[in-house]
Amino acid sequence: MWKLLSGLFFGWSLGANDSANIFGTGVATGTVRYRTAIGLTAAFVVVGAMAEGPKCMTTLDALSRISSMGAFFCALAAGLTIATLTVLAIPASASQAVVGAIVGVGLLSGTADLSPLYKVVACWVFTPVAGAVFSYLLYRIIERVLNRTVRSITRRNFLYFVGILTAGSYGSYSLGANNVANVTGVYVSAALLTPTAASWIGGMSIALGVLTYSRKVMTTVGKGIVPLDPFSAFIVVFAEAATLHVFTQVGVPVSSSQAVVGAVVGVGLVGDLRTVHLSTLGRIGLGWVMTPVAAGALAAGLCHAYTLYGRIQTP
Amino acid sequence: MLLDKLFSKGRKEQVVIERITEHIRLLEVACEEMRIGMEGGDLRRIHHVLRLEREADAIRRQIIAAVYEGAFLPYLRPNLCRFAENVDRVFDAIEETAYCYLEMKLPSSIRDHCLRIAFYNVRISEMLLISFLAMLRGDRLREKTLAVRIYEKKIDDLKLEIRRKLRSLPVEGFWEGKALSDFVTGLTSISDIVEDASDDLHIMHVSMR
Amino acid sequence: MKLTEFMTTNLKFVDAHSSVYEAIEQMVDYRIRSLAVCISKEKAEYGVITARDIVVKVMSKGIDPAEAKVGDIATTPMLCTDENATMHEAAQIMVDNSVARIFVCGNGGPVGVVSFIDLMSAALIARARGDHATR
Repeated sequence: MWKLLSGLFFGWSLGANDSANIFGTGVATGTVRYRTAIGLTAAFVVVGAMAEGPKCMTTLDALSRISSMGAFFCALAAGLTIATLTVLAIPASASQAVVGAIVGVGLLSGTADLSPLYKVVACWVFTPVAGAVFSYLLYRIIERVLNRTVRSITRRNFLYFVGILTAGSYGSYSLGANNVANVTGVYVSAALLTPTAASWIGGMSIALGVLTYSRKVMTTVGKGIVPLDPFSAFIVVFAEAATLHVFTQVGVPVSSSQAVVGAVVGVGLVGDLRTVHLSTLGRIGLGWVMTPVAAGALAAGLCHAYTLYGRIQTP
Repeated sequence: MLLDKLFSKGRKEQVVIERITEHIRLLEVACEEMRIGMEGGDLRRIHHVLRLEREADAIRRQIIAAVYEGAFLPYLRPNLCRFAENVDRVFDAIEETAYCYLEMKLPSSIRDHCLRIAFYNVRISEMLLISFLAMLRGDRLREKTLAVRIYEKKIDDLKLEIRRKLRSLPVEGFWEGKALSDFVTGLTSISDIVEDASDDLHIMHVSMR
Repeated sequence: MKLTEFMTTNLKFVDAHSSVYEAIEQMVDYRIRSLAVCISKEKAEYGVITARDIVVKVMSKGIDPAEAKVGDIATTPMLCTDENATMHEAAQIMVDNSVARIFVCGNGGPVGVVSFIDLMSAALIARARGDHATR
């Protein structure tokens, strides 16, 4: 059971990092209080993980056969990669790290099946695109509806407040549903856990990360994003949640950070604004290559080292 | 706190709006009192203006306190506070003008122009209230802010003319001259500050569109 | 909205016997385009002289402005409306007479002048105030 520890650590760091994508702007601007935000996020992450979490686990399962020790190293390598890239301020994707790690371990053991990888990589590429398209469309549609129905400034004020809370809760739900597979999916592949148990444990570990260590990232990420007006902030979170939810139905875990960047670009397109610097997009591209490769190499290296160590011990 | 905010459905916001409306209404009354006082030389009216300023000060404090207690999204709060501060600055200008009026005698050569400015001040403050109410409803503010600018321009033209006449006026002494000069400066600065306040409204309108 | 609310009160007068040069001086100094010409204060007879009159009737013909008299080129009598007239009525008079400005006259003579730009501003303000003061 101690092999779950690396997954718990991974879930914890994912919770600490990705919760900023949901209530980051809300907390940084003071619209939602930090306690309220982490409470809602933690609760809805668990609900999302329980309700739809297993959907993405089958995709990861198909990538390669993994031993229980391999699962431990996959989660550890992914966790370390994410932690490092977060320090380097690259919007790293937990999904890419995990998939890279699984493929790395799979290649080492010769059980890797690369055919589902096309679907996974296509979904990665489409995550920011989908985020941008969703936010652009949602902005246009909701703006038009609001301009016809709710014009009073007090009502709008209230509506934006409720909107940010609702979109944030939906975002947390989608994050749990989509990303829990990253955290504990490998243990299902290694037959250490049932999908339900994996969803439960993964959801709780993410929630724990949200509750214990998200303050710093939440305030810095929120303030790092271009100053968004309340309506745009609401749309960005809503679009991010919708993107994650759609890819959950496809069964591929994707990156919430990249969905957010896409959504911010989409909002910018409406007002013809440059909301995201080219360098940010460049960093995402870098992350696309670096994350899976680094995590894969690390996982494979750890596994190999373990095997070597085993050989030295056994004779 | 969260549930309270959700279920009150904007009671705090309503309080702020009522106070701001009251604040601008008071401004309109103060301008009207100033005009009537100047027209009839009625010093009681001018003293009333001074009392109104103190009342307005209390209202401004209530508005800012309510905003800092959490009314409205944080995004809107700085603009709301700046608006309230600007309305208060208008009151300060009226107060200063009233004090100067009490200390001097309005020369007949500029009396008509000054009365006309006082009249436009009433109109421009009325326009500020109309703009504020329109912003609450989410109506377009473009023509309202334009109206404020037109009044401001008219007052500017009169200010130029008054300055021209002032230069040829004999003054009894330094303090009499200073009171007269401050009076004209105060009277003509009211519209400038109202214009600033109306710009704040425009920013709020755009930010919550 | 009443005309008096919107007229320009900054009226400048010039005597009918003054030279056109003096009129030019006043116009340039005050940056205005027309002057009220005082023909006889007792009989309350007034005329108007505009920048256009000066350019068309004096300068383009090579006449020395210092020699020409204001009374010779001024338009008389002055086109007047009373203080209670509305914006709409004033606009109608201006259209009927093809003039760019109309004077607002009280008992003792002209008290203000209303030009196209004043009418337009008044229309904008009436619209912003939401009443139908233009009519």
